[in-house]
Amino acid sequence: MDLTPRTSSDNAPLAPRTKAKKKWRYVAMLVVVVFAGGFIVSQFLTSAIDFYCNVDEVGVRVGCEEDRRLRVQGNVVEGSISESANKTTFSLVFNNKTIDVIYDGDPGGIFQECIPVVAHGRLQGDTFEANRIEVRHSNEYEAANADRISESEVAPCSQQVG
Amino acid sequence: MTTTELPAIKGVGTQATRLYGVLALVALGWVFVGGLFFTPEDVVQGDAVRIMYVHVPTAWTAYLAFIVTGVASACWLLGKKHSMGFDRVAGASAEVGVAFMALTLISGSLWGRITWGTFWVWDPRLTTTAFLFVTYLGYLAVRGLGGSPQQRARRSSVVALLAVLEIPLVHFSVVLWRSLHQEASVLSPDGDIKMDGIMLFTLLFGVFGFSVLFAWLVSHRQRIMAMHDAQRASALEVAMVDRLQEASS
Repeated sequence: MDLTPRTSSDNAPLAPRTKAKKKWRYVAMLVVVVFAGGFIVSQFLTSAIDFYCNVDEVGVRVGCEEDRRLRVQGNVVEGSISESANKTTFSLVFNNKTIDVIYDGDPGGIFQECIPVVAHGRLQGDTFEANRIEVRHSNEYEAANADRISESEVAPCSQQVG
Repeated sequence: MTTTELPAIKGVGTQATRLYGVLALVALGWVFVGGLFFTPEDVVQGDAVRIMYVHVPTAWTAYLAFIVTGVASACWLLGKKHSMGFDRVAGASAEVGVAFMALTLISGSLWGRITWGTFWVWDPRLTTTAFLFVTYLGYLAVRGLGGSPQQRARRSSVVALLAVLEIPLVHFSVVLWRSLHQEASVLSPDGDIKMDGIMLFTLLFGVFGFSVLFAWLVSHRQRIMAMHDAQRASALEVAMVDRLQEASS
């Protein structure tokens, strides 16, 4: 009995060609995945060049030298935010150490007093000149109701960054 | 020409799947209504906190899906019979997991824009999550590379067992490194859950709803895969019957 594969009008086997096409699609997908993985790792390593320091570690911890670009983490000091001529200035505190920050623009997000933020930039004299601000939020979730507001007025800057 | 028909595909639902399909619908219905209308705003984040009711449950369900893929793959590799059912569950679970992980990344990105002020940062948690997503896309690509079902099962099982090792790294990335992403709220290292009651209830209901939805999707998908495998296996038989009929006519 003849069991050779059926052929199409141009004498090419139908089923194997479709299978091969499908297979190459998955090979292409695998190549894209490998490149995407490489891209993700390289981006992560590039961003890690800016050392991540708490305010009290600037100029103290190895990697947090004052003359290099840093990511500085701390809580926004209550009453320290001021905006003028498209610049935002505020102070960051961590472990009783404070640093003044100046940022060109509106930090965005839920930026406000008492909230933990990460400022990317460089120390110029006593002021940290940031060109990027990221706002952290804690893993605490509280309902915004009248009672809680009065509680937060008692301890406005109770959140701590880790 | 061809007179022999391949087996007709009937529905893939059963009484049990219909039951947990309804359960998933009810649970996710509550998450939608409760998350939007009954839960309060967060004192710091405001309405943005509502994204949590989708973001966290989809992340947990994606972890669950990838763990199921790993366990089913181990069962296929270590089992004496190498039952193809395990391979199909592994594949179906990975597909659903990838979809949930995509939802996690999208919802997280939107949440980040509102709270952090940016859609994306190359932070340890975000980076490892994106890498996990890409790894399982790779797993699905490996499954599609061709060969017999046994070859597919063997190579994808090995990939699945390696890929599942990434999950602890993703989960503990916020503890291992300094991260913009907040630490876990429910599975926090100190065991103290700092979340308002109704918020926590809706979040856990979301986890339940998405988990049941995951079970519903996987059970249907693996049955469809079983049908495809059966159809492929019977195709040769059908072709031979057709040729015999041609020869005798």
